[in-house]
Amino acid sequence: MNDGLSALKEEDIQRLVRLVESLDSSTFDYLQLQVGDVKVTIGKGAVPLSAPVIAAPEAPAYTPPPRPASVAAPPTAQIAPSGKRTAAPVPTGTIEIKSQIMGMYYSQPEPGSPPFVSVGAEVKEDTTVCLIEVMKTFNAMAAGVKGVITQICAENAQLVEYGQVLFRVRPL
Amino acid sequence: MTIRRVLIANRGEIAVRVIRACQMLGIETVITTSEADREALPAQLADRTVCIGPARSTDSYLNYRAIVTAARATGCDAVHPGYGFLSEKPELADACASEGLIFIGPTGDHMRKMGNKIAARVLAREAGVPILPGSEKIASAADAAEVAQRIGYPVMMKAAAGGGGRGMKVIYDPGKLPAAFAAASAEANAAFGDPTLYLERFIANARHIEVQVLGDKFGRVIHLGERDCSLQRRHQKVVEEAPAPGITPALRQEICNAAVGLARNIAYENAGTCEFIFDEDAQTFYFLEMNTRIQVEHPVSETLTGIDLVQEQFRIAAGEPLRFQQSDIVFRGHAIECRINAESPEQGFRPNAGLIETWAPPLGPNIRLDTHCYPGYTVPVFYDSMLAKLIVYGSSRSEAIARMRRALELFAIRGLGTTIPFLHFMMGRAEFRDGKVSTHLIEDVMSDFLAESATARNAAR
Repeated sequence: MNDGLSALKEEDIQRLVRLVESLDSSTFDYLQLQVGDVKVTIGKGAVPLSAPVIAAPEAPAYTPPPRPASVAAPPTAQIAPSGKRTAAPVPTGTIEIKSQIMGMYYSQPEPGSPPFVSVGAEVKEDTTVCLIEVMKTFNAMAAGVKGVITQICAENAQLVEYGQVLFRVRPL
Repeated sequence: MTIRRVLIANRGEIAVRVIRACQMLGIETVITTSEADREALPAQLADRTVCIGPARSTDSYLNYRAIVTAARATGCDAVHPGYGFLSEKPELADACASEGLIFIGPTGDHMRKMGNKIAARVLAREAGVPILPGSEKIASAADAAEVAQRIGYPVMMKAAAGGGGRGMKVIYDPGKLPAAFAAASAEANAAFGDPTLYLERFIANARHIEVQVLGDKFGRVIHLGERDCSLQRRHQKVVEEAPAPGITPALRQEICNAAVGLARNIAYENAGTCEFIFDEDAQTFYFLEMNTRIQVEHPVSETLTGIDLVQEQFRIAAGEPLRFQQSDIVFRGHAIECRINAESPEQGFRPNAGLIETWAPPLGPNIRLDTHCYPGYTVPVFYDSMLAKLIVYGSSRSEAIARMRRALELFAIRGLGTTIPFLHFMMGRAEFRDGKVSTHLIEDVMSDFLAESATARNAAR
């Protein structure tokens, strides 16, 4: 796109404006978005040199940040090469809720209903955080810890492995 | 090939073996592992790994529901069970069928037919295959005594659901029968959840001879010859070879025909093995059982025939007709396989686990090694102790034995004790060299081995 902004339609520009606005009201310094060969970077201060790992917010946990999309669930259509899983940096002071079984992860009781938990939600040991389905048997998973959800690491209706991190929780 | 991506529901050397076959066929691989095997060689070689549970097999490798779920979620169109674990459990085969997945093996119905040893005996008899004089089912110790009286002592008590020697007892003396019945019944119940027993005449001078069969979905069955697996320790095979030494061509033909007849009678699909007990004194054979899976010792037949059995498993499961007529199968030379286990033979075959510091296998023409081990691999404590299968080919049996003996000498493993010293000893024994194999040969020579290894240790000191 040598032509710069002239290639953008009116609605594209509207979208960009919305992106800037949502960044402004968030606690993030910059936002980088890449769809196909279109790459957008907006933010304050220096532009990062390489695609950064989006870290959990350090700001007070009550500020609801946008749902991070940094942890991609394994794709099903395309086979993902495996190997050693690169552990994302674990924010200090958080506890991981790991999947106790392998199966399909569901964030809500049924399609269309609100999720069991979202970022910022307070959970107790017995709070149901998700469902894991194994051959049409749905297993409700309890948080097992008291705290505030700071990150949701799995994507709805995707396969999760045994021991995979599903949530990060700041204990209370 | 209609199969594009397969889930391999196993671990260890057989998982590696299946991945190798898939690589040759251009099939993508997904492996399900326990937490203990997350970084093991099969996971390194597969296109994708899915950890399905903790180390304990009952929570991972035996969880057929998790395996089917993983297969569906990763876009697989087939499941290969390997051997052991779920390979002969109709539950997995049935679940695959109902979920639209191709199971690389026979149907659940074939497994049910052959899984119960009493039912299998009946099927063998219907196919005109000789079976040992014995009972269909014994209900009580008194019942057992009556049957034993009729067929004559010694008798062998076996579990209907059985395998691997569990629930098996040899009885020479009628007075010992009630106690043996109670013990075998309890053992069978503990091992298989089914205390049902049956009795057969015990063959004192026995050999174990089995026949590899392949059947397609169109009712065609061929055999890939026999294997002699007489060298066993506690009913576990230690050395396998083909052709079986000292068997006349006529008798070989008869045994192979019996296996094909039985498999054809039940329209058997995919790879399977008919096991026979061979009475060395009477030179007669009897049906033992049929294994409805690929077996540990399948490379012996591959070496002799040049056919990749695992690749053929995929072709058959995909619905292709057999690519060979019986007359196409050519047997050349002699093949021997030794199972190398992480066990210390000098200490009663005590199993070992731990870090493999050195792993330097012998290389060269006509030597094959099927393994999941490498230098720096830590053998976990949770599973069986087999590290590798060493297979050699020779134009004659004596050439194969010499090659195996030399290959075992050259195989350097440090870090944990293995069965190599014992295998090397067996290859040098006159009884083995002369083809005088039997299911009790290992037991017979064990004291000599222990004396020899003690002398060697003292000399080294």
